Amino acid sequence: MSDETPVSAAADPAAAISVRALWKVFGPSADKVVGTPLADLTRKELLNETGCVAAVRDVSFDVAPGEVFVVMGLSGSGKSTLVRCLTRLIEPTAGSVLVSGEDILKASPSRLRELRRTQFSMVFQHFGLLPHRRVIDNIAYSLEINGVKKEARHARANEVIELVGLHGYGNSYPEQLSGGMQQRVGLARALAVDPKVMFLDEPFSALDPLIRRDMQAEVMRLHRDLGKTMVFITHDLAEAMKVGDRIAIMRDGAVVQMGTPEDLVANPADDYVADFTRDIPKSHVLCLHAIARPLADGEDLDGPELDGGMVIRDATPTILEARRAVKVVQNGQFLGVVTPDDVLRLISGDVDAVTAQEAETGP
Amino acid sequence: MTRVRELLRHKWILVLLLVVVWIVLATVLKGVHTLELPTAKNTPVTQWLTDFASSIRGNRTESPAFVYFFNPIRATIAAFIEAIRSVISVPGAGNVIPLIGWLGTLSIIGYIVYVTSNLRTSLLSMGLLLACGVLGMWTFTMDTLAMTMGAVFLSLAIGLPLGIWAGLNDKVMKVFRPGLDLAQILPTLVYLAPLALVFLIGIAAATIATLIYSIPICIRITAHAVRSLRAGPVEAAVSMGSTKMQLLRKVQLPMAKQTIILGVNQTTLAALSFVVIAALIGAPGLGKPVVDALVIRNVGDGVVAGLAVVFLAVMLDRATTAAVIKNNTFVRDTGKARTKRRIGLIVGGVLTIVAVVLSRQVLWAAVFPEQLNFGKQIASVADAVATWFTTTFYFFTTTFNEYFTVTFLNPLEGVLANSPWYVTVIMIALLAAIIGGRGVAILSLVLLTIVVLIGLWNDTMISLAQILLATLLTMIIGIVLGVMAGRSERVEKALKPFLDAGQTLPAFVYLVPVLALFGPTRFAAIVCGVFYAAPVVVRMVADGVRGGPPEMVEAATSAGSTPVQVITKVQLPASKKSLLLGANQGLIFVLAVIVIGGFVGAGGLGYLVIVGQSKPELAGKGLAAGLAIVLLGIVLDRITQASARRSGNPGG
Ligand SMILES: Nc1ncnc2c1ncn2[C@@H]1O[C@H](COP(=O)(O)OP(=O)(O)O)[C@@H](O)[C@H]1O
Ligand SMILES: [Mg+2]
Repeated sequence: MSDETPVSAAADPAAAISVRALWKVFGPSADKVVGTPLADLTRKELLNETGCVAAVRDVSFDVAPGEVFVVMGLSGSGKSTLVRCLTRLIEPTAGSVLVSGEDILKASPSRLRELRRTQFSMVFQHFGLLPHRRVIDNIAYSLEINGVKKEARHARANEVIELVGLHGYGNSYPEQLSGGMQQRVGLARALAVDPKVMFLDEPFSALDPLIRRDMQAEVMRLHRDLGKTMVFITHDLAEAMKVGDRIAIMRDGAVVQMGTPEDLVANPADDYVADFTRDIPKSHVLCLHAIARPLADGEDLDGPELDGGMVIRDATPTILEARRAVKVVQNGQFLGVVTPDDVLRLISGDVDAVTAQEAETGP
Repeated sequence: MTRVRELLRHKWILVLLLVVVWIVLATVLKGVHTLELPTAKNTPVTQWLTDFASSIRGNRTESPAFVYFFNPIRATIAAFIEAIRSVISVPGAGNVIPLIGWLGTLSIIGYIVYVTSNLRTSLLSMGLLLACGVLGMWTFTMDTLAMTMGAVFLSLAIGLPLGIWAGLNDKVMKVFRPGLDLAQILPTLVYLAPLALVFLIGIAAATIATLIYSIPICIRITAHAVRSLRAGPVEAAVSMGSTKMQLLRKVQLPMAKQTIILGVNQTTLAALSFVVIAALIGAPGLGKPVVDALVIRNVGDGVVAGLAVVFLAVMLDRATTAAVIKNNTFVRDTGKARTKRRIGLIVGGVLTIVAVVLSRQVLWAAVFPEQLNFGKQIASVADAVATWFTTTFYFFTTTFNEYFTVTFLNPLEGVLANSPWYVTVIMIALLAAIIGGRGVAILSLVLLTIVVLIGLWNDTMISLAQILLATLLTMIIGIVLGVMAGRSERVEKALKPFLDAGQTLPAFVYLVPVLALFGPTRFAAIVCGVFYAAPVVVRMVADGVRGGPPEMVEAATSAGSTPVQVITKVQLPASKKSLLLGANQGLIFVLAVIVIGGFVGAGGLGYLVIVGQSKPELAGKGLAAGLAIVLLGIVLDRITQASARRSGNPGG
């Protein structure tokens, strides 16, 4: 149940990204850990015994084309290392990474550069803009090193500038822009080459909460319009839930749970995950099917009908207005009913009630 | 924590005990085995070195190493510098003026400064150059400028690529590091004799010595500039698929530019200060009148030449610093400001061309006008002021001088130099062991034994006594002023011009006023050392005090501490490491000047270096003295470095 998306043993060549048994060990004898009994030690034991840090341990996952895959975890859990291993900004210690079926770890330096120039792009927590270049030349940088002529690359840069809402800032220097605007430049730069996959490493963590919300909306809009495959790193579960199709939760270098936002809230694999999800308003994540229950005595089936895949928050106005049991139907199948009381109970945090019902009905 | 404190107390008690034992031994064994040696006498080692030097001199025209290596280098470098001189300072054959007269040179320099920085700095630079002319030092100034520019050009041509390489590559840095570290502690004086021996006294030897002095500075700062770049933009550029070359050209170098220009500033000032002192091995320029004045103790002329050095140093510093400030932001001018600047550039360019043409056609624009030369008058005023000062402040210049010498310097010299050499060597090694650990102690023992074997033990100890006292004074002044500056912005502002000047002026120019005031004494050398070294110590202490966590001071103040308690119980202990590093820097700076003090009657190793320069039969002794200075410098540096390092992590 917790393992919503089981990972097959073999890499999936159809996936946009397919990662298998990926390890990154930092330290003096890094290559003497994987495949030995040392690999079974916890991170702390390993550090004490060998002085090595296992930043990423045995991570496997697939990202479907067009999916937004979120990696989330506390600081130090290995997220940045993981995402850098995917493009070999950090050289992995063991494992395999397939991008559109091609084994990245076997790519020659020049092939790797080519992939970075045309297929991948990355957005950084601290923006990583080139301070000595104007916005437009920052955005055009990857085209420039790819040999695109000045006129063509500026034309493309201007397109992307419009796309991310930077109109009129092309001639500014990064230090003249606010943090939010700088990250828009970071986004534009990542989009300029029209990459297949975007990697975003905590892109909004350095921004104020209000601006962060704008930027999250911006990324979701871009994703809707452009349909890029994204690997999105964050330490903020609310953000993960907002942008992610699927979320992998990391702890001490390993993935502890992977699934849709709803899975994680409804069925946290362990206390670590439950700790994260505790503060997430359930009504924002769970769908009606999670709280639908059998008709009770004295209730009528004459209320309106709602789809079981609807998020509870979105369904709430209808339910409140109906003032009686609402029918929940999914794929032509009757799942049960939901009343305003059920919604209130969920919102007030009566968790047991929900999980109890979840156990009874199932999705 | 308490255990560490106990241990520390322990350590200081040990040091105290050791010093007491030392003094007792030195008093009892006074005058025994001091290895004293008259200046004119050689030891076997110095005799051998003297013979070696004369054999090199004899070999210059025959030995292949000279014919195919050293002599061509000498000729090339000499030709290069002479070419620059022929443009601005030396008339060509059958001519009375150099290629460009003074007005042309002045305008060109003004224009260059305008282009690289701004109008204000450009006017200031021209004013300072004019002032050099008014002092009657135009041609000397141009010679120094030509030498400095040539040396800076070569230093950058060699130092920038090597610095970039060392910045990008850890292995290269590892290879360079020992050399760079050594270069930091070598006093200017020790470069002179060996280079003069190989390349003959003259322009080439002076330039090469300057290069050896300034290139490490250039490499160090450039490597640091590349190394300390923000990681973010570099990683981003890599993630977009940059090649190594693209990364360097489009990202790393542009971002490092600011710091690299700072390196140009430091390289320039280092080159200038060396070119001045290189007058001792035949460099043309302002160093020559300074040396002449020092030799015959002509205060007036010395002051005039020294002032010109100061003006030139300030000009070069301002011009290069303004370029740093101008490059402080990556944002470029737009619109109006750019148009204005373009007009300025065109007007300035035209004016400069006119001035250059004039300076080749009209006499007053070609040769600096005699009517504007007030050198003589300024010299006599300086003489008068110096006489007035020494008579009015007789107490300070003479009484205090004598008191200090009798009460502090002589006893210290007695302990170090006037006792058996083995007592001193062992005591220093024991002190090194307590302060810096076993490794440093062994190093000290070995290096000092080498000094004994060379035969210059007594002179080394005479220098050491002056160095230690000067460092002590420097530290007292440095801590008092540094704490004040660290605690108050007002004091810091008031001190800033002096600190800046201290870091800009060549050590050599301090000799002139100090010699005027205190005469040719050891005390004069000590005062010089203090003047030269205090600014850097003040700065380090102030930074250390300011760098301490402000909450600590706040907590202590709110707990009811008096300001003195805050300073002694919180701020100074918290900045202990920077104090010790300050002591290290102070020592190195003092060492550099004390040996130059051989000129003003301080005796010791510096005097031997200078004597060796002028008397061929003592050439070996001069070389050996240079070596002894190096060995002494390493010992002092290692001991203070180790103590600073140890205070860094009290646990280990
Ligand atoms: N270059 C490195 N050398 C050694 N340890 C590293 C290095 N980079 C990261 N680590 C360690 O790996 C772990 C994961 O780091 P990171 O991937 O940055 O975590 P996150 O991005 O989740 O905060 C941390 O314990 C960190 O100290
Ligand atoms: Mg991170």
